[in-house]
Amino acid sequence: MVSGDIDHISAKWLGNAIFPGEHMAATIIRPETDVSELEDLSYDLREKLLLLCGEYDGSVHIGGDLSCADILTLLFQYGMHVDPQDLHNPERDRFVLSKGHAAVCMYITMAIRGFFDYREIVDTYGQLGSAYGMHPCKVQLPGVEVSTGSLGHGLPLATGMALHGRRSGMDHRVFTLMGDGETGEGSVWEAALAAHSNNLGNLVAFIDRNRQLMTSFSEERVKLEPYPDKWRAFGWNVIEVDGHDMGALVAAFDSLPDPDSDTPTVIVCDTVKGKGVDFMEANLAWHAGSLNDKDLQRALAALADGRKAA
Amino acid sequence: MAINTASSVPTNTGSADSSAATAGIPGDPEPTTSFTFGELLSSRTVIGQTLKELGETHDNLWVLTPDIGATLVEFRDTYPDRFVDVGLSEQACVGIAAGLANEGNIPVVSGMLPFLSMRALEQVRSDICYPNLPVKIVGTHGGLVGNGGSTHYAVEDLGLMTSLVNMTVTSIGDPLMVGEVLRQSMSMTGPLYIRLAVGKKDKVIYEPGSVAVEIGKGITAREGTDLTLFAHGETVSQALEAAEVLAAEHGIDARVVDMFTLKPIDADLIQRCAEETGRFVVVEDHLAYGGLASQVSDVIADRGLRLEGFRRLGIPQVFAGFGEDTELRDKHGYGLQATVDAALAVTENRPSACANQGSAA
Repeated sequence: MVSGDIDHISAKWLGNAIFPGEHMAATIIRPETDVSELEDLSYDLREKLLLLCGEYDGSVHIGGDLSCADILTLLFQYGMHVDPQDLHNPERDRFVLSKGHAAVCMYITMAIRGFFDYREIVDTYGQLGSAYGMHPCKVQLPGVEVSTGSLGHGLPLATGMALHGRRSGMDHRVFTLMGDGETGEGSVWEAALAAHSNNLGNLVAFIDRNRQLMTSFSEERVKLEPYPDKWRAFGWNVIEVDGHDMGALVAAFDSLPDPDSDTPTVIVCDTVKGKGVDFMEANLAWHAGSLNDKDLQRALAALADGRKAA
Repeated sequence: MAINTASSVPTNTGSADSSAATAGIPGDPEPTTSFTFGELLSSRTVIGQTLKELGETHDNLWVLTPDIGATLVEFRDTYPDRFVDVGLSEQACVGIAAGLANEGNIPVVSGMLPFLSMRALEQVRSDICYPNLPVKIVGTHGGLVGNGGSTHYAVEDLGLMTSLVNMTVTSIGDPLMVGEVLRQSMSMTGPLYIRLAVGKKDKVIYEPGSVAVEIGKGITAREGTDLTLFAHGETVSQALEAAEVLAAEHGIDARVVDMFTLKPIDADLIQRCAEETGRFVVVEDHLAYGGLASQVSDVIADRGLRLEGFRRLGIPQVFAGFGEDTELRDKHGYGLQATVDAALAVTENRPSACANQGSAA
C-alpha cells in the first residue's frame, strides 16, 4: 500500500456488489429443460472438462469436478433463476461455490449457460492475467458471486446473503455447493446453527457426498456418518438423493420448500468422485491430475462408453 | 468545563479521504449528552449511540456480534431486523458479514478482538479483504487490558491486520473519536479495523472540535521540538502524561503524535517529525514488534530518514500474565516511567540537553 494514501483504498475494486433498488430488471425465468436434455448438458460438461484437462499443462481437480458435474448442471441449466445478460438483477438466485476447487467445472457449466466463452476458458485457464483460475475470484470474473477456495467459507457467506434476501423481502434463493470433506470445518457448523436460528428457508446447501478427501476415503479417517442425521440435528430440512440421477435431482429441486419458508434445506447428494470416467471413479489417484493425449482419449472413450451403458 | 458530546453530530456523508471532520462540531442540532472534558466516557456507549444514529441514515447498516452485544442494545432494539447475534461463532459471524456486504450492505462486526483477529482471521482476509468489502470490525481488549490473561489480550492483532491487503487499521483511545471514525467509515468501500482497549471508561483526550480527525492522518496531540512520542489507543494518554513530566522535571519539549491510523500510515507526518525533532519514542500496548513501531520503522527505512535516537516500547516476547493494565505496562517496560526514561535516553545528546548536562556536571 502507498503510505498515507487512502484514495488508494477507496478507489480500488468496488467488486460487483449490488445495491438494492438500483436495478429494476425483469423477473428472471428459469429455463424449461427436461431430464434427457439435462443429461445431455451434463455429458457435454464432462466432455468439455476432460478436453480442458487435456489441453492444460497443470493439474486439474478432475475427481471433484466430475462428482459435482450433475449438481452444477441441475443448478445452472435447470434450477436457478439466473440470466447471463443480467448479472446484477437483484431477483437472481445466488450461487456460492464453497468447494472452490471445482471452479473450472462451474466456469464451464456457466459457459454452457451463456455466461462465459468456453474457448476462452480453455485458452487462458490458469495463465497469467486470466480471470479463470483454480479457485474463483468474483472481482476478476463478474458473474461469479463470491471468491472462494478456502474450504468451509461458503456456508457462512451464503447465510449472510440469504439474510439479506430475507430482510429485503425478496424471494430469490441462495444456493451453495459444499464437498462432504469440507464439512469437517467448524465454520460450516457455526453457519448451520446461524441459518437455522435465523429461519433461512431461502438457503439451500448441496453436499457433494463423494466420500473422498484428498488423500483418503472419508469414512476411514473422518466418520461423517450418520451424515444426514447431523444436518437434521442442526434443524435443517434434509433431502437425500442420488447425485448422478438427473431425474432424481430434478425431483429433489422441485420439492424444495418455498423460499419464504423458515427451514434451510440441505440436499445430500450421493456421488462418486471421478464419475463418468471408469478409471478415475473412486480412485484416490485422481483427486487432481492432468491428462496426456493418450489418457485423454482413454477418458473420452470411457465417458462415451458410460453413456451407452446408461 | 461541560461540553456537548459529538454523539448527535450530523452524519458525515462525505468521503473519508477528503473530509477533515472534527470530533464534536459546535452547533449540534440537538445535543443529547454532556460530559466534562478529561473525564471518563465509555467508548462502547459512544459506539452504541453512533450506530443507532447511522442506522437511521443508512438503511443498509447491519450490526453483527458473536455474543458481545450487550452494549449494542440501542441498535438492536431500534433495528432488530438488521442486528444479528450468532452466539459464539466468530468465523461464521465474519463470513455472514461478508455475505451481507456482498449484497450491498455495510456490516459492523462488534466483538472481542483477540478472537475476531485470530479465530476469524482467515475469514477477515479471504472473505472481506480479498473482495475488498466495506465490513467494519470494531472490538475491545486490544492490549494488556481487562485482566483476562493472555487468552483475552489482543497483542498481535495490529501486526496481523496491517499485513492484510485492503485493510485500513485504526487504534483509538478517545471515545468520541470512535464515533467520528465510524461516521467517516460509512463512505469507505473497503474494510476497516477499529481497536479499542476495554471501552468502558476511556479518557476523553481531545476537547471536542479541537482536532481534525481524518482516517489516514496522525494527530499531533501536543507540539514539541526535542523528540516525538508516537502512540495509539490508550497509550496516547500515557504519552501526554510523560510529555508533561518531561517538560516539568527535565526541561524537555516532547511532541506527542496520536497515530490512530496504523494503516495506511501517515508517512509524511513521520518524515516531518523526523526532520523537526530528530528523535522518536514509540509506545504502544501491543507487541513491540509488529505494531506501530514497526510501521514507523518501515517509513524510516523506506524514506531513508535520519534519526538521532529511536526507542520502541511495547510488550516483549512474553505471555504477560494477570494484573491491572498500568501494572502490566510497568512490569513489561512500557509504562509511564519507562516512557519518560526512553525519552530521556534518546534526548541525552541533544544540544540543549548537553548544555544542561554540562551545567549539572
